[in-house]
Amino acid sequence: MSLHSTPRLRPPRHRVDPLARRWWAVQALLTVSGPMLLTALALGLLSALFFPGALPWLAPLLLVTLVAPALGYLLLMPRRRCATHAWELGTHAVYAAGGWIWQRRRIAPLSQVQTVDTLRGPIQRRYGLATLTVTTASTAGAVEIAGLAEADAEELSRLIGRAASDARTAPTGLAAPVGGIGEAAPGGAA
Amino acid sequence: MSRHADAWRRPAARTLLVHCGWLAPPLGSLALAVLATGGRIPPGALITLAALAVSFAVVTAAGLIRWSRTRYRLTTDAFALRSGVFSRRQRTVPLPRVRNVDLTATPLHRLLGLTVVRAGTTATDGELGEITLNAVTVREAHRLKTALLARAGARAASDDVVLGRLDWRWLRYAPLTFWVFGGVGVAAGTAYRILDGIGVDLWRVTLVQDAVAELGDRALWLTVPAAVVAVTALGSLGALAVYAENWWGYRAAWTGPGTLTVRRGLLTTRSITIERSRLHGVLLREPLLLRAAGGASVTAVAGGLGDEEESHARGALLPPAPRPEALRVLAGALRAPSDLLDSVPLVPHPRAALRRRAMRGLWFAVLPATLALLALGASLTPALLHAAWIHALVATAATALLARDAHRSLGHALHGSHLLVRAGTFSRDTLALERSGIIAWTFSTSPFGRRHGLVTLTAAVAAGEHGYHIRDVAAGDAVALAMAARPGIVEDFLEPPGRPERSPG
Repeated sequence: MSLHSTPRLRPPRHRVDPLARRWWAVQALLTVSGPMLLTALALGLLSALFFPGALPWLAPLLLVTLVAPALGYLLLMPRRRCATHAWELGTHAVYAAGGWIWQRRRIAPLSQVQTVDTLRGPIQRRYGLATLTVTTASTAGAVEIAGLAEADAEELSRLIGRAASDARTAPTGLAAPVGGIGEAAPGGAA
Repeated sequence: MSRHADAWRRPAARTLLVHCGWLAPPLGSLALAVLATGGRIPPGALITLAALAVSFAVVTAAGLIRWSRTRYRLTTDAFALRSGVFSRRQRTVPLPRVRNVDLTATPLHRLLGLTVVRAGTTATDGELGEITLNAVTVREAHRLKTALLARAGARAASDDVVLGRLDWRWLRYAPLTFWVFGGVGVAAGTAYRILDGIGVDLWRVTLVQDAVAELGDRALWLTVPAAVVAVTALGSLGALAVYAENWWGYRAAWTGPGTLTVRRGLLTTRSITIERSRLHGVLLREPLLLRAAGGASVTAVAGGLGDEEESHARGALLPPAPRPEALRVLAGALRAPSDLLDSVPLVPHPRAALRRRAMRGLWFAVLPATLALLALGASLTPALLHAAWIHALVATAATALLARDAHRSLGHALHGSHLLVRAGTFSRDTLALERSGIIAWTFSTSPFGRRHGLVTLTAAVAAGEHGYHIRDVAAGDAVALAMAARPGIVEDFLEPPGRPERSPG
């Protein structure tokens, strides 16, 4: 299947900040893994104290349904996210890759950028991180870059803002503004 | 335009009566309760009545204040609305920004000769992008609509290009679309809740008790089919009624060069206007049953119609109708030749996509029920074991058929200025999307897709559902397709040519 002539996307150039892995781990612990482990612990303790007879079947059940998924999520998710999450600002477009099980790569032209939002959550702030969201007129076109260092996020947001306003005032001829009908339709090039 | 055009105006005073409409259901159920108990007002009802009186006073006062604080103004270049009781807000929309105007009138509005005017703008969809004026007189509404759309090129109705008119023979498609059994279920549930609310316990009524006992005594092989037939008939009647209510007096037409207008509705009338430059595509929907009967419906992919759900309701261009008619309306809306969809061969998707669909069916339809039946059979009665293998066989066969159909549905093509995408088996949807309307690309992969070389490509559009998927394209073709369909987006980020393929993921 790998024809050398077919165009392929390369991964974005810039990786997320190394601290992002810790941020994702803390997030996993607080939202998913922690509650699951605590539930397993509470059920196990209650059973050991009041219904010792149930332990032989309850313990394996808890291990399989709660403990193993919680630990798997806690160990795998941050590592996989660090491997896939990346971003790049090109001359005409902004590009971000994300996700861990379901992965996605999204590219939006700078001429379509409407706003650039920077978000710092409480855990993110502790690690000096920020999430940058570049919105377009379509909700399916918002590019999200998670786990940037705060300084990088600020710099990137400034760069994108400037590039977007440049792209809008001097259109490249390829990307028409929202709702643009001026563009001549390219002939059927399937 | 009249010489008072620049003055601030108030919504029609009769609007205050519309705000009393919420009284109808509680008063109705109260009246029913009184009837059911034979004229004696149950003690619970007195409390309800008192609560009603209090809330009536509060709501009416609030409505009066809100009405007296609302003003609108239409000048030669802008439409403005002042509203708000505690925090005053004035929203001004320059007329060139108005992209569509909807007139909607519920039965209550129509009784009072009123209409709700909603003007959608070029701003991002959502509440900020629109102005809603509830309500003005019908004449005033039409005056506003004409003035608001003057820039968009709306003209007198005499030279309309009509796309479609209602044909009553289409009614035969109604039972194939409405959720027949579900509709009856919902209606029955609502009726039961109302009866329960007014204190009638259905199971205590002797008539019902007798009927249930009677049915239980008779042979099940008679009563069950009879019940199915009755429910189907009831549901079909309901579907016919819904179809007629929604599509009475349906007419879709290009009113002038730049605006598409759809009028419909029996009790609630709707008039929806879409501007040409905001119409980014058209969707042909063929749900399974409708497709079997050779029918289809058409929805516009247009911006400024509200959120996803509203956009779907407001974007309807054609009710379930014969497929050739649907193709004609679709082509008319796109201003393309009418054989647009059927003349273009679609590129099929890889066989791995078929395997993915079959696996999905096995995981979600075959395995869970079979395992449950096996477990129950092992612990309760051997009869369920037979049910388990029968279910496994039947469900596997059905899965295989549906997966094959789903895979055959999959396809995409570029044709002129449009991107054609088809997918789905329970609802086979064919999308004709204007390529210039695409504003971003997303490539998503699942673990299965990464192993078998499948990518789902999503085109972001500022219209309709916003994201339109081209599911399970061959990984090697996805980037080329994105580049061909909408150049100028992905070019910055391509692998240098001649580099050996990287391992996926």
